Amino acid sequence: MNWKSKPVGCAIAHRILCGWARLVRNSAPYLIAAMAVADDFKAANALFDAGKFAEAVAAYEKIEPKTAHVFFNLGNAHYRAGQVGRAVLNYERARLIAPGDPDILANLKFAEEKLGVAEVNVSPKLVVRFFRSLAGARTTAQWTRYEIIGVWATMLLIAAAVWRPRWRSGLVILAVMAGIGLVTATAMVIYRNAARPVAVVVVPKVEARFAPLADATVHFQLGEGTKVAIREDRGQWVFVERADEQQGWVRAEELERVAKP
Amino acid sequence: MRFFWVIALVLLTPQVFAEVSVSATVDQARVSFGESISLTISINGTQSGGQPAIPKIEGLNFAGPAVNTSVSIVNGAMSQSVSLVYQVTPTRTGEFMIPALDVNVAGKIFKTNPIRLTVDKPGAQTDMSQSLFAKVRLNSQQVYLGQTAPLDVIVFARANLPVRGLSSFNSEAEGLGYKYSGNVKQGTQSINGEAFNVYVVEGAISPTRAGELKFGPCVLKVQLATQVRNRSIFDEMMGRIEVREVPVTLDVVPIEVLPLPAEGRPADFAGAVGEWSLSVDAKPVEVAVGDPITVTVRIAGNGNIDTVPAIQLKGLENFKTYDPTSKTTKNELGTTGERVFQQVLVAKDTKATQLPDVRLSYFDPVAKTYKTTGQAPIELKIKPGGQAAVLTGSERVRPAEKLGQDIVYLKGDRGPVASVPPPIWPWNVVPVLALAGAIAWKRRQERLTGDVAYARRSRAARNARQILAGATTPEQVQRVLQEYLGDRLNLPAAGMTASVVEEHRLPGKVREIFEVCDAARFAGARADVNGLKQQLEQVIDELEK
Repeated sequence: MNWKSKPVGCAIAHRILCGWARLVRNSAPYLIAAMAVADDFKAANALFDAGKFAEAVAAYEKIEPKTAHVFFNLGNAHYRAGQVGRAVLNYERARLIAPGDPDILANLKFAEEKLGVAEVNVSPKLVVRFFRSLAGARTTAQWTRYEIIGVWATMLLIAAAVWRPRWRSGLVILAVMAGIGLVTATAMVIYRNAARPVAVVVVPKVEARFAPLADATVHFQLGEGTKVAIREDRGQWVFVERADEQQGWVRAEELERVAKP
Repeated sequence: MRFFWVIALVLLTPQVFAEVSVSATVDQARVSFGESISLTISINGTQSGGQPAIPKIEGLNFAGPAVNTSVSIVNGAMSQSVSLVYQVTPTRTGEFMIPALDVNVAGKIFKTNPIRLTVDKPGAQTDMSQSLFAKVRLNSQQVYLGQTAPLDVIVFARANLPVRGLSSFNSEAEGLGYKYSGNVKQGTQSINGEAFNVYVVEGAISPTRAGELKFGPCVLKVQLATQVRNRSIFDEMMGRIEVREVPVTLDVVPIEVLPLPAEGRPADFAGAVGEWSLSVDAKPVEVAVGDPITVTVRIAGNGNIDTVPAIQLKGLENFKTYDPTSKTTKNELGTTGERVFQQVLVAKDTKATQLPDVRLSYFDPVAKTYKTTGQAPIELKIKPGGQAAVLTGSERVRPAEKLGQDIVYLKGDRGPVASVPPPIWPWNVVPVLALAGAIAWKRRQERLTGDVAYARRSRAARNARQILAGATTPEQVQRVLQEYLGDRLNLPAAGMTASVVEEHRLPGKVREIFEVCDAARFAGARADVNGLKQQLEQVIDELEK
């Protein structure tokens, strides 16, 4: 290449090369950190394969940031270590990040059935069940993107209907459909953001009482792996609601929140 | 025509056969002097009841009645009623008796129940226990071990009490296996002619040990609404209320739990308690040797379904059997239930001519005796087994393979991290604002096209400034002024002279510009063109404000 005859091309090539160099230099720490995390993940898997489940649990716990797969493997390690309630907890955490992963759903169902809480964790009301399953089918980020797509699609279709009167009837129908999608996605975003925090019972048996007192009358019992919604948190005691809407006070240390505060 | 007669029959039939009943209630039987009482005479089954003659009662004034009629059709059955509401105002304190009133309905006299009223002095304390109390509803205080008996707790609240609901329910029922429904049912009931709101906590007991047991004491907390007084002007404007909880206690109810009697106990009794019915079904009943037959045993009825044991089919030597499955369903309180057993049998040879009879022995706590229910043997037609060899793969019986189950193995890669939701407000606001702006722009374009006056007025200043920049003589300046005013007022530019100033209330500078320009044009007077241009700019600015 004749550099002197192509001064503009040389400048562009020089800039591209410099940009790549800067990108590699700035990304290097992150790439190194990612590789280190990948090594930690493989090391934890190796501990699991060696049957050292308690050590595997500790190794998975150290990995940050935790992905759906880290929570999934952590749940498996807890399951093998005999802590099935904590396995349910971590499968739930994995499901929050990757709600459509069939492996996560399969293990969660299996662990719940093993503990005998699969039916307890599901609301007896069909409408509530439908709404929760719909909201839980996607992450909050995904529902938010759908909501934004719904807004843009609705606005564009309305604009098209205004500018193209000949196609108005068809465009209005499409706009209404996009609007329904928008309303659904908005409702899901609001529901997920307003939903009460969920916790899982991680000890073999928990007694829910009528009052936050050790000698208060026991209202009902919660088995390990039972999911509850936290309605009120008073430090040592939390007021929880089971899927069948039974409510009671339980000790905070007997539960663990699905989404870490 | 036929349709008309059907409609007429539907409408008239209930009126002919409806049973008429008359009752009288008051919203409160005890009031303070100065308060009024509502006396309601309800005539159910008709809408044509006559007003009763109210006797003169010394100390009570009757006003009204207000007449309310209602008709409802539920599942094709029509019900109708009329209510006569009297406002009763005491004129003194004391005890009163509203006697039985005669109500004439279609020539027949119905009598209401007499009602006793008490009027206290103002400020006298009323006994809350008379207005708000609870009772236990139990069919019998003797129940059998294993029996599931309904036990309802009913809260009675005087109709005028502003009850918002029940907040908590705390009961002691050791050994009784007490369960209650979270859904409180509501209704109304008349007690001694006084209307009460009724809140029923439906429940059931299923004792786990025999002996003298106790239900209670129980404490229910009832939420009563009270008006917020003297808190703030907003509270008064909004009519805010506050809710206070009033405890209602329920005394101990003794319950005797009896063991199941030994006498009359069938040899095959296995603990089932309740009222059960049993049915057996086999499909198909005509098969070849080697074909599967599904036997379904269904047990349903009232009682604790958990006490019903698994049904074991006996006398199946001529069948190959597979493990039975069972499915149990019951209502929330466990007072009714159904258990379905299914078992697959395969005939080994043609000797299998019938399925054995199935029997269930149980204790009926209502009849207080043991009973046995069952179904006679089911006849089968088993064809020789040669056919099994020609059956296709899907029809051939294969022993149920028991597959192992376990959790899914580890994930090999870290997978994606949790994604962060995009900022929702900017992404939502931008398209809405863009659409609003685009529609506004489109409307303006349409107006510019279709509305000449608007189009001229919109362009007047811009055009005038463009031409004015190149003006070098007073004549050109005047021309710009005429064009500008013509566009602005949607008039011909040639007709714009100094006379339009008063006519259209224009600034005085317009007249000055016209006069200077005319003097320069027609009288040869000297004129400062730049000064004229500045003046015209000022005029345009002033008019465009």
